[in-house]
Amino acid sequence: MNPIDTSTPLGVSLALLPEIVVSVAAMGVLLVTAWRHRTAADSRLAGWLSLAGLLIGLGTQIWLWAAGARVEGISQMVAVDGYRFAANVIFLIAAIVTVVLSLGYLEREGMLAPEYYTLLLLATVGAMLLGGATDLILVFLGLEVMSVAVYVLAGFDRRNPFSSEAALKYFLIGAFASGFLLYGIALVYGTAGTTNLQMIGAQYAHGGATLMGTLGLALLLIGFLFKVAAVPFHMWAPDVYDGAPTPVTGFMATAVKAAGFVALTRMVLVAFPAAQGLWQPVLGILAIATMVVGNLIALSQRSLKRMLAYSSVAHAGYLLAAVWPGTRIGAASVLVYLLAYGLTSLAAFGLLAALGREGEREVTTEDLSGLARSRPWMAMAMAVCMLSLLGFPGTFGFIGKWMILSALITSGQWLIPVVLVLASVVSAGYYLPVIMAMYMKPARSAGAHDGAELTRPAVGVLAVIIVALLVLGVVPTEALAVSMHTATALFDRAFVPLGQ
Amino acid sequence: MTDFLLRIGYQSWIIPTLLLLPIGGMLPVLLAPARLAKRLALVVTTVELVLSLGLWWAFDASSGAMQFVASTPWLPDWGISYRVGIDGISLFMVLLTTLTMPICVLGSWAYITERERGYYALLLTLLSGMLGVFVSLDLFLFYVFWEVMLIPMYFIIGMWGGKNRLYAAIKFFIYTMVGSLLMLVAILMMVWKVGAATGVLDFSYEHLLSHSMILGSAAPWLFGAFALAFAIKVPVFPFHTWLPDAHVEAPTAGSVILAGVLLKMGTYGFLRFAIPFFPDVAFAPAIAALAVTLAVIGIIYGALVALVQPDVKKLVAYSSVSHLGFVMLGIWAATVQSVQGALMVMINHGLSTGALFLLIGMLYERRHSRLIADFGGIAKVVPVFSLIFTVVALSSIGLPGLNGFVGEFLVLLGSFRAYPLATGIATTGVIFAAAYLLWALQRIIFNRLDQPENESLVDLTPRELIVLAPLLMGIVWLGLYPAPVLRRMEPTSRSFVESLQPVLEKPAAGAARSKMEATR
Repeated sequence: MNPIDTSTPLGVSLALLPEIVVSVAAMGVLLVTAWRHRTAADSRLAGWLSLAGLLIGLGTQIWLWAAGARVEGISQMVAVDGYRFAANVIFLIAAIVTVVLSLGYLEREGMLAPEYYTLLLLATVGAMLLGGATDLILVFLGLEVMSVAVYVLAGFDRRNPFSSEAALKYFLIGAFASGFLLYGIALVYGTAGTTNLQMIGAQYAHGGATLMGTLGLALLLIGFLFKVAAVPFHMWAPDVYDGAPTPVTGFMATAVKAAGFVALTRMVLVAFPAAQGLWQPVLGILAIATMVVGNLIALSQRSLKRMLAYSSVAHAGYLLAAVWPGTRIGAASVLVYLLAYGLTSLAAFGLLAALGREGEREVTTEDLSGLARSRPWMAMAMAVCMLSLLGFPGTFGFIGKWMILSALITSGQWLIPVVLVLASVVSAGYYLPVIMAMYMKPARSAGAHDGAELTRPAVGVLAVIIVALLVLGVVPTEALAVSMHTATALFDRAFVPLGQ
Repeated sequence: MTDFLLRIGYQSWIIPTLLLLPIGGMLPVLLAPARLAKRLALVVTTVELVLSLGLWWAFDASSGAMQFVASTPWLPDWGISYRVGIDGISLFMVLLTTLTMPICVLGSWAYITERERGYYALLLTLLSGMLGVFVSLDLFLFYVFWEVMLIPMYFIIGMWGGKNRLYAAIKFFIYTMVGSLLMLVAILMMVWKVGAATGVLDFSYEHLLSHSMILGSAAPWLFGAFALAFAIKVPVFPFHTWLPDAHVEAPTAGSVILAGVLLKMGTYGFLRFAIPFFPDVAFAPAIAALAVTLAVIGIIYGALVALVQPDVKKLVAYSSVSHLGFVMLGIWAATVQSVQGALMVMINHGLSTGALFLLIGMLYERRHSRLIADFGGIAKVVPVFSLIFTVVALSSIGLPGLNGFVGEFLVLLGSFRAYPLATGIATTGVIFAAAYLLWALQRIIFNRLDQPENESLVDLTPRELIVLAPLLMGIVWLGLYPAPVLRRMEPTSRSFVESLQPVLEKPAAGAARSKMEATR
């Protein structure tokens, strides 16, 4: 494919094709639901339409990627490179899985408002814009489009006070974090005179370490760290993850978190490579703190959903550790880990949604006792998820962790890897009891798991994910090669001097 | 025989076949009707055994190098390949593993009545994992096998174990994981450092071995990480506390595998990786003194604790700590004799302790008790059982003419020159072993038949005799004629010891060795 000329409307549309497709799908679903929003069938219709939109979006994304789409010179607003494409594929997969899981879940829980799917599509568009943004203004726009949609989704179960609490909490914290981010953008603009990431990079390379420039970077980082729930900005995450409807929690833990990390990686590598001495120690210390705190608190949780929520904080720590080296392999390991963690936790939350009828908040590890006897396949899927989250060899989760470790070690770092593996040992203390309960303890009552049902599409999606986790755990060759290749994009033009 | 094996290309397909067959057998076992599961598992493990026996003849006893080497790229961009091979150290570990498995399947025949398909599928996975650990010549591959093998064992203890099985299972898992994850960091660090110095990123054993001297100041830390992982697995005192729990709670087959094969992975790791990679560190005066001291403490401590156990299974579990102490002593004495002796103890311990666990399991199936106090005088009721139990116990003690003697004798003989004091103390361990086993024997088999429940015990069935027969044959054969085995391990032991000579002959180290002996 020839380089896309982003100065023409056609070129812009081509570069943004997947985002446009999903946005159009969101509008389309909204129009349809304006007429049909009463029955379960209406909700299902909206779901299938969204699914179609997302699949088309995924198709166009893969086409653009395969065709090698790129732009000449620097990208103005949105990157046209493999890193964005790969990230978009992750977001779209997360959205597709969430839609499929929601189909059965919404009906079962009596949340028959098809607007749900519109919001989900809009959140996906936001994530895609955030992940691909090469301009701080678009970073902010993408973040807000995504966040506002997710605030509503978190509170979608109106009758449940916890869900409303989650929405309110998420909204307040989110607004607060956006404030930090905006202030940071303002200060960085004041320092560099531009909001384009690459130009900021060029400016910072020539003396951006002024007080204003440093403060701007710090505020930007705080905004992002809030969004990805890194310690000490993680307090909101467990309550929000816990209160939100379970498929939404899955979406937040994967797509939303992934968008935050992709944007963070792009920002520090493209805009602030010159300021590595400033952000690297911060990320390193917070990565260690996040891994330790997240894992230790997860250890003491009884509710399964809360445990997964805290464990997602711990995984944010691993991801921060992946950003830390600021190298190509580090950026690649962010993608690989996001895919591994994303697939695994989507499946885990999907299974959890099926297990907890009317109130999965209350599902404790003990409630899974004896699942292996009555629902052997579900138990096996859950066991694979737990092992993958633990990072056990043979699953994709291990490949992710191994790559993060490689990234750190090839940068000469040993402390963070040691903390990372020890934190993983701690995490065995809460992942294994889940397996233990399912396989090694008798069921509490005869019909304890009668209600655990999955719809047929959900079974299909989960089966694909589980198989993918195992296959990619053994033959990750392609995934690794692709991630390394795409990560090159963040470095190729990182130091283009201004005016060239 | 050798010609025939060469003609059918045995050396090129044997290792992949051994690794893949059990994995391939897993699916039929899982899908077959429950009553067929154990038969299928028996077929697969027996075929494995028969196939692996060819290694005995195909193995070139005059060479200390890796044989049957096969290599296929796995993640070529990262220097990771599927690379396997067998030398005089791993040969017997592989044979021990393949011999143990059919016995375990037969030994579980009547005991495992619940969820049989899962159980036998896990046994097969375990078989692949264990073999993989012993044949891997790529550190990434090794690590994957090393970890993967944890899962089936975890399930076997946790699902089919005794009363306290959940605690034992998670303890086993977490102990092993702490060590192995730190080892992963060390492996990556080492590969990266070697890669940075040589320009070749390669996880293969030979590449790392030939460049390990460039690691310099990082070597002690890397050795520490490897040594911790292996020491936990052996287990070396004070990392042994997972072992009694896991052994006692595991079902019989689980205990047999643990004792027979899993513990050997620790000492194998020292012989294959930790010491050859970092000889300077391993034989630095302080480290060598520590290792030998811990080995001797393990020998004596394990024996003393075994002496006071009321539960006979726990007694045997602690005796493992003692026996593995001999292996550690033999390795660190670093003479050809002591290393061969250590390898022999590894084999013998697998045979004798495996047989002991099987016998205890058989007793438990009849009486549902393992407390020594519940037995007494059963020689009259079950004479065959008693005879075999006595023979096996004597072999574990190290009676000349049975296998146990050969290994321990070689270790003590080979270690005496280097560590006279430590060897002297270790020798008392043999006496303690006689004490705890003979005393247990007396209280279980002899004495008065004073419990009415014991009068109706049934003697060994033909199936149980078949289970025990191969182990007994091994015990007697290795006791009377160990030469063919020793011959096959000699070149490898010799090259292992020779590779250490530069380190051992450093005047400083030599002086420190004798000084350390003087101070202790």
